[in-house]
Amino acid sequence: MRDSSPIIHRAQKKRSDKLQSGTIVSFTMLRNPPSQFGKSPRPIGLIELEDGSNVLATLVGSNFQIGQTVRPRMRLSYVNEEKLRIYEVAYETVMPARISYPREKAFPGYILALTGPSGVGKTTVSRILAKGFGGSLTSVPIVTTRAPKSGDEGEYLHMTTKEFENMRAKGAIIAVTHIPSATEERWYGYRAADIEAIWKAGKLPVVITEMHLLQGLATHFGRRSILSFGLLPPGKSKRTMLSHLLHRLRTRGRDTEEHIKDRLKNAEADIAFFKERKDLFDHLLVNEDLEKVISTLKERVPGLSEA
Amino acid sequence: MQCDVFLVGTGQTRFGELFDRSTRDVMEEAIGNAIENSGLTSLDIDMVVVANMLAEQTNNQAHLGSLASQMLPHHPPALRVEAACGSGAVALHTATALLESKRAETVLVVGVEKMTDASTEDVSTALMGAADSELDQPSGLTFPGIFGLIAQRYMHEYGLTREQLSLVSALHHRNGMRNPFAQFRIEVTPEAVSQSSPVADPLRLLDCSPISDGAAACILSTLHRSPLRLAASQIATDTLSIAQRATLTSFSASKEAMERALREAEIDRDEIKALETHDCFSIAALINLEDLGFAEPGEGIRLYEALYKGRATSLMINRSGGLKACGHPVAATGVKQLCDIGKQLISEKKQWGIAHNFGGACASCGIHLLENLDA
Repeated sequence: MRDSSPIIHRAQKKRSDKLQSGTIVSFTMLRNPPSQFGKSPRPIGLIELEDGSNVLATLVGSNFQIGQTVRPRMRLSYVNEEKLRIYEVAYETVMPARISYPREKAFPGYILALTGPSGVGKTTVSRILAKGFGGSLTSVPIVTTRAPKSGDEGEYLHMTTKEFENMRAKGAIIAVTHIPSATEERWYGYRAADIEAIWKAGKLPVVITEMHLLQGLATHFGRRSILSFGLLPPGKSKRTMLSHLLHRLRTRGRDTEEHIKDRLKNAEADIAFFKERKDLFDHLLVNEDLEKVISTLKERVPGLSEA
Repeated sequence: MQCDVFLVGTGQTRFGELFDRSTRDVMEEAIGNAIENSGLTSLDIDMVVVANMLAEQTNNQAHLGSLASQMLPHHPPALRVEAACGSGAVALHTATALLESKRAETVLVVGVEKMTDASTEDVSTALMGAADSELDQPSGLTFPGIFGLIAQRYMHEYGLTREQLSLVSALHHRNGMRNPFAQFRIEVTPEAVSQSSPVADPLRLLDCSPISDGAAACILSTLHRSPLRLAASQIATDTLSIAQRATLTSFSASKEAMERALREAEIDRDEIKALETHDCFSIAALINLEDLGFAEPGEGIRLYEALYKGRATSLMINRSGGLKACGHPVAATGVKQLCDIGKQLISEKKQWGIAHNFGGACASCGIHLLENLDA
C-alpha cells in the first residue's frame, strides 16, 4: 500500500517543488532502513530549502554537517514490487560547511593532490614522481575496507569495515569516500597521522585521490594546504574522455570487467566534478603526453624543480 | 475539571515479549486486575474506552471496543481511541470527558498493544504511520531516524555529549529493576549504552524503547471515591511531520498541554513531585523535562546527572523505568503511566504527580495531573 501507483503518482507531482538548494538542519544515518531501500545505511537529512520550507530527504555524500549547503539531485530511490522505478529528490553536499575550516590553526604544510578518474594515469604519474623525487615526496597510504587484489602495490592498508568505522568515529580518519560497488562494501580514507608524520619527516605528502577524499582533506587541513592538480583524460567531449578511460582500464588488466563497469560509472561523476568544483583545483592537466604532465608538475610544485 | 473524578482502580500485565499471550489475554488480565484493585464489581462499569494503535496491522484485529466489552458480563457501551503512542492519554481524556458530561459515572480505560506477533520490520513500518505519510515516509525515514535527527540537532544546539545522553537510559534501567512489571529488570551502565550498536546516529540501540506486549487499565469514577483525584486532563497537538515545525529541540504540544493542565489543577509546577514522562528515545526525556518546565532549555541532562549520582532532587522521574526499561506497548503506555503515578504518590506520600504521554514526535500529547488527597 505504501508505494501503490496512485500514491507515487501524487507524490511525483509535487517533486519539482523540492528542486532547490538548501542547508542541512539535522541529519542521521539509518543503519537499518526499510527493506525496499536495500541493506546499506541510509543518510537522511532535514533540509531547509531556499524558499524557507523544510524537507526530509536522502543525503548524498559523506561527512555531513549541520549548516552545510546541499543541492538537489534526482536519484533512483528503489524499484517496487510492480517493477516501477521510483525516483526521489536527494540532496548532495556541495561545499563543506565554511565553519568547519580550521582557520585559526597554523598552516600545517602542503599536500600534493592528484585527482582524476580511474584509468587517467594517476598511478603512472605518481610512480614517475616517486622514482625521480623519492627523496622529497612520500605517498600517503590509503586505508580501505575493500579486499586486497593482485596489482596493489602497498599503497593500501586493508582493514575491516568495523575497524574503519571505529577509526573514523575517533577522528583518526579525516577524509572518507564510499565507492558504490555491486560486490562489496568499499570505504576508502586517509588518516591525519600518516600525513602529519610525512610532514614531520620533512617531506611532501602525495595523495592520489578522488573527489570526496579531496573535499575531506580540504575540510580538515584547509583548502590552502592542498596543492591540487586535476588530471583529465584527453578528449574534447565527455564521451571521448570516457572511451579513453575504458581503453586504458581494459589494457592495464588490473580489474575484472565488473569492476571496470563500476569504475567507469564513477569516472563520469569525477569528470563532472572538475567543472562543478573548480575551486578545489589549482591546475587542470590533460594527460595526453606524460612527459609534459611531469614537467608541468615539476614547475608548479615548490621544491621539485631544484630536486 | 467540571466535577471530581477519582482514580479508583488500576491494573496491568507485565510488559515484555509475551509470546504465549494474545491481545485479548493481556486485556483480560489488565481489566481483571483493575477491577480487583478498585474493590468494585464489573457491573459498576458504565462504559469502556480502549486505547490501541496497531491491532489491525500486528494482530489482524480491529473493533477493540467490542472485544473489551465482551469481557464484562453486562457488555457496557465501548469505544476505541487512537493517537499513536499517545493513545493511552487520549483515551483517559476521552473517559474524563464522558464523566464530566455525565454520560457515564464509572469508566474503564484499557490500553493494549500486542506487538511481537509481527516482524520487527512490519512493526517499524506500522509505527511510521504515526508520522506524516507524505512528508516523512518516502525518504525511508523510521521513528529512530526522526529522533536521530532531533538528537543530532539537540547536540549541535546545546553541546550535549554522547556520554551525557547515555545517563538517561542507564537511570531508567536502574529504576526499572525495582518494577515487577518491567520488561528489563537489569542494570545497564552508561558505557554499555554508548557502546551499543548504532541505530540512527547519534542514537544507539539502548537509547530506544523496546517493542513490547502488554496492557494497562484504569477505572475512573465520579460516583465512587478514592484518595486519588484526577486534577487535570489535557491534550494538545502539533504537526505530524517534524519538517513543518519551527524547532526540532522542543515540542510545543507538551508546553501547551502542561500550561493548561497547571491552570486546570490550579497548582504551581514546583508542587509536582512525581513524573512519568514519555522517553520513547533517550533524547525525548531531556526535551520533555525542558518543555514541561522542570529544566531550562539545554539543561534537562542536569536532573539526570543528579539522579544518577544519587543526589536528592525534588522530582522523581520515571520511577517505573520509563518506556526504556519498563517497555513500550505503545497504546498501553499512557494508561500505565497514570497507574504508576498513583502508586508512587501513595507509597511516597506525595501530593501531586503527573503523567506525560505523547504520540509520534509529540504530534499529540496528553497530560494527567493526579492529586493524593491523603498526603
